[in-house]
Amino acid sequence: MPRLATSLLREAYAIHPCLPLLLRPCRDLQAARNELRWLCEHAGKVARLRRAKGRDADPKQLLKRLVQERAAGKPLQYLLGTEFFGDLEIRCQPGVLIPRQETAASVMHLTRLLRAALDLPPELRVLDLCTGTGCIPLLIADELTRCRQDVQLRLLGVDVSDKALRLAQYNLHQTQRKGRLSDTAKVAFIHADLLMEPFDVQPAQTLCLKKAMNYSRVPPFWDVFVSNPPYISPAAYWKTTTRSVRGFEPKLALVPPLPADPATDTEHGDIFYPHLLAMARDVEAKIVLLEVADLAQAGRVAEMAQNMAIFDGIEIWRDQPDQPAEERGAQPSRFPIIGQGNGRSVLCWRARGGSWLGKGPSPVSPLDDARRLWESHRVSSSFFDFKFNSRL
Amino acid sequence: MRATPWICRPCLSRIARPAIRRQLRFQSSAAAAETIAPALLSRARTIALEHERLNEKLANGFDSKSAKKLGEYSVIVRALKEWEAASEAAAELTTLIHDSSTDTELRDLAADDLDATRTQLVNASQALTTSLVPIHPFAHLPCLVEIRPGAGGSEAAIFAGDLLRMYQAFCSRNSLRATLLKFENADGTTEAGVPLSEAILEIESENAYGIFRCEAGVHRVQRVPATETKGRTHTSAASVLVLPSLNENAAGEEDFENPESDYYVDPKEVRVEIMRARGAGGQHVNTTDSAVRLTHMPTMTMVSMQDSRSQPKNKEKAWKLLRSRLAQARREKREEEMVNIRRSVVGVAKMGRGDKVRTYNWGQQRVTDHRSGITVHDLDDVMQGGQTLDTVMESVRNWLMERDVEALIAEESSRK
Ligand SMILES: C[S@@+](CC[C@H](N)C(=O)[O-])C[C@H]1O[C@@H](n2cnc3c(N)ncnc32)[C@H](O)[C@@H]1O
Repeated sequence: MPRLATSLLREAYAIHPCLPLLLRPCRDLQAARNELRWLCEHAGKVARLRRAKGRDADPKQLLKRLVQERAAGKPLQYLLGTEFFGDLEIRCQPGVLIPRQETAASVMHLTRLLRAALDLPPELRVLDLCTGTGCIPLLIADELTRCRQDVQLRLLGVDVSDKALRLAQYNLHQTQRKGRLSDTAKVAFIHADLLMEPFDVQPAQTLCLKKAMNYSRVPPFWDVFVSNPPYISPAAYWKTTTRSVRGFEPKLALVPPLPADPATDTEHGDIFYPHLLAMARDVEAKIVLLEVADLAQAGRVAEMAQNMAIFDGIEIWRDQPDQPAEERGAQPSRFPIIGQGNGRSVLCWRARGGSWLGKGPSPVSPLDDARRLWESHRVSSSFFDFKFNSRL
Repeated sequence: MRATPWICRPCLSRIARPAIRRQLRFQSSAAAAETIAPALLSRARTIALEHERLNEKLANGFDSKSAKKLGEYSVIVRALKEWEAASEAAAELTTLIHDSSTDTELRDLAADDLDATRTQLVNASQALTTSLVPIHPFAHLPCLVEIRPGAGGSEAAIFAGDLLRMYQAFCSRNSLRATLLKFENADGTTEAGVPLSEAILEIESENAYGIFRCEAGVHRVQRVPATETKGRTHTSAASVLVLPSLNENAAGEEDFENPESDYYVDPKEVRVEIMRARGAGGQHVNTTDSAVRLTHMPTMTMVSMQDSRSQPKNKEKAWKLLRSRLAQARREKREEEMVNIRRSVVGVAKMGRGDKVRTYNWGQQRVTDHRSGITVHDLDDVMQGGQTLDTVMESVRNWLMERDVEALIAEESSRK
């Protein structure tokens, strides 16, 4: 990390003695000043609460401690206990990944498209795999129910981490308590390991998605399928993530587990996607939105989706899909690339999904659609049969 | 409105025609103005004729535009009638008094009446003058007050903070709803003595723009800064910008959607920049990047907002601010032409961001407004947003009104 210029440190010190410390994680003065302001407000609030409980608390001491922890790299969101995800304030806790602004931007863009849809079903079902804090289903519920009271929403979040599930449940309660969740939306969270196959040995308390869904008696078919899975390869983890991410956020949420079969670094980073796409097909999802690390991974995931031959359309979204497309030396791509920023997600649609997104009706008849789903299913289950048999 | 000070102003005598000047001179020594500038009177009479014409027109069929005009004019027509009645009565009484054939008893009675009629005439003149001054089209709106330190380093920043608290106290004393839209100082507190880098106060109450319009400009402070060891007095300044604010409640959505409106901003012309995480973003980075910057491309007007940790909230505030700034700019541009005409005759300085409008002098415990010329000595009360600040602000509002009257006279006279 390059050293901070002395002049900058001096300028920061002149404004507030705590600022130079905050420059370490923030790097620029404006960001450091913002963080100082928020930490200050937080220290004041905590001190007031403690005093109300009869304990003595010095906001200056509190602030000093917070600033030191922040300087050591602890994420601001863990210190303040929350992060904003769209309009929602989501509780954060060490051990569970902090929601990212880019994820919120993709999800909001998706809901903005859906809000305008004329032919949504009376009950729209949304499945979010790898839900973490539960931020995605909660935001979709908030954004959609606000102007689509005509549609019942059912949302299901899935995660393998108990800690994440407890936090998601807490966030659900908080959102309800604040009156931000309308009665037309039902949200639930369940535990499942998405990398586990139905035929794998199921250890106690951990089930594959299909069995977990059966067990919790949730419907087998879902309209919208969203996931922000761990997508960072081991090499990128060391090269690309920041110190604060590595030092304080759970690796389980960022890097897929070591594959059983030998794999390249890139394949390792991509592990979740074939599983997710297969699950999306099995629940007969009409819209699929998967977050990715960059344009390269977006290209690979789009390719995988294409090869399944079940989708009517596939496109790649950048960080800000609502902004006019970036006009830099248009690299040829097989898939349309929408918006500005880094490559951030892959959107696929089939059947009525196209018209919900405003892409027009499906060019494929319902019968042919059923046929292509079944065909794709057959191809991959014979692959799993093979795997199953070879184990015997 | 206060009685007459404007007729004493030297600039008015420059623009008034000789005949009026004599009259004015005479009256400036008296307590109040009984007459009204002939230019204004003739304008009122023209309007009365127009009013009659419209009345006839409306009798033959309804037309909402004429009806609206008629409503506006009727105030003036009523004021004119009252003035004419009063001035006729005064003339009659005067003749009576000066007529040698009038007996003493009657003359005494007439003299008594004349006093009352004179007062009536003064009031009628005032009413007629005010009715002719166009009301500022945004006066009824809520407003944004933007405060920034100017020249003078951290002392200027501290003074900017003082001004903010002054306005906040003023608002709470007058039951005006005020919220901080943006507040930037080093540590997020509102303690006194903390340097401020920028603050935007939104005053949501109706008529707030009419009340605060007079505060726009450069406010100068003269005092010994807390940091000054040798006890020297420093001069620094803070600038105050006042914008009418059109929020959804105040004026209806259509103004945002209507391309005719000053507040219309074509979203296609605005570049939205979101402070993105550095580098790869996504799961790789966890900084709080909620700052939003909007740039209106045709005018390169830029607004950035990073107060809140919520990006949508910052975006919403930024849009509001951008709309207000653009509307102000458009209005100023439109007014510029008018002002140019007026300035060539009147020499009225446009009141804008660049002009030094007021001085706060700690050593002498006084506040002087350079426009109305008022000086008050209860500096502390002013800084606490007290009654004395009301007095100062009112003097400026009156001054503004006088400028409008002058401009009106100038316009009317140059028309002939
Ligand atoms: C990148 S985080 C996404 C969290 C949240 N959706 C968000 O956008 O902030 C990935 C989540 O996947 C969960 N996860 C990791 N491996 C999993 C698995 N095999 N099955 C289910 N969830 C898993 C982690 O616990 C983590 O909460």
